[in-house]
Amino acid sequence: MNILNFVSLKVVGTEVIVRVRIIDGREFRVECEGNEVKVKDILKKLRLSSEEYVIVKSGNVITEEDYVSDGDELILYPVVSGG
Amino acid sequence: MVKCSYCGKPAVYISRANGKAYCAKHFIEYFDRKVRRTIRRYGMFSKKEHIVVAVSGGKDSLSLLHYLIKLARKVPTWRISALLIDEGIRGYREYTIKDFMNFISEYKDVDYRIISFKEEFGATLDEIIRIGKKRGLPYLPCSYCGVFRRYLLNKVAREMGATVLATAHNLDDIIQTYLMNIIKNSWDKIARLSPTTGSARHPKFVRKVKPFFEVLEKETTLYAILNNIYPKHFVECPYAPTNIRWAIRKYLNELEERMPGTKYGLLQSLLTSLDLLKKSGREVIELNTCKICGEPSSHDVCRACMFRIELGLLRVANN
Repeated sequence: MNILNFVSLKVVGTEVIVRVRIIDGREFRVECEGNEVKVKDILKKLRLSSEEYVIVKSGNVITEEDYVSDGDELILYPVVSGG
Repeated sequence: MVKCSYCGKPAVYISRANGKAYCAKHFIEYFDRKVRRTIRRYGMFSKKEHIVVAVSGGKDSLSLLHYLIKLARKVPTWRISALLIDEGIRGYREYTIKDFMNFISEYKDVDYRIISFKEEFGATLDEIIRIGKKRGLPYLPCSYCGVFRRYLLNKVAREMGATVLATAHNLDDIIQTYLMNIIKNSWDKIARLSPTTGSARHPKFVRKVKPFFEVLEKETTLYAILNNIYPKHFVECPYAPTNIRWAIRKYLNELEERMPGTKYGLLQSLLTSLDLLKKSGREVIELNTCKICGEPSSHDVCRACMFRIELGLLRVANN
């Protein structure tokens, strides 16, 4: 399952585009405007709870309070087990 | 970049409970300390134990097995084994078994057993559900699964010589079950949510412990990722979304985000309930012997035998 979704919120300022890949196969491209975009803002736009994912950027785990930059790719590991 | 509250390195986790940020090294130390505190607080293990760990191949049980194998290196009088129940859920369990096999291949000194519903009861869970449907029985996949799995865990762990069976139930699992049983007003089931099966006694009953009782699901996931044991296959049980637990889990996560501390609050509430049940004498779990299979049971006939009779998987004389 590889669905590329687009979620965008236009605010005046610099544009930040982040690619989000959840390891269950879902993929999103999130556009934000503004200089200070946090991981939790990206999750909020995707209507995902930070309680339910561990976030990895460039091979390192980061927190929901970390900032993202244009071109970042986030990999989301679901916390909720399947059974 | 969020920095670790202890060393200033990049943080991997922020605890909503204490507001502290942890780098990978300090998170592992925090996790280790937390689980060891639970083990000590509830007297889970003695000096000499054969601990059988109930595993599914999922991140929680692999984390628990990894944690206890590491801890047992410091306690040479402990022996660790693993037990996996293969319910026979197509498109799900075969992948988690692969993940378990991949994990256990790194530990040549750890014994394990895989036992299936098919070999023990003559039908896989998928087949059991089809039989139930044909017989007009209520659609209860998680009830069949839970009853048969618990039955086998106790029986096979005992056959393996276990002195204690450790399960990877985490704080999230426990408070979800707590809420489900509050809704059903099932206080006998709430009494069974304690971190150890304290009062239950039966010659065939293996003591159960939950070392991850105070650990959040997000923390076990992070522990698995940082230790490079997060399962390769991301698969979900096809029956799980039919269970009310699925909805309760979602509501609790939403609530925790809006109101940090909700989960720990509910765990405290459970501990208070357990204490009240103990004081009122309702916490004592009386165990009888099932008249059919001889296994421990809270009734004359255990629920596993009841289900098997209903499903036509077991025939018994009328008397």
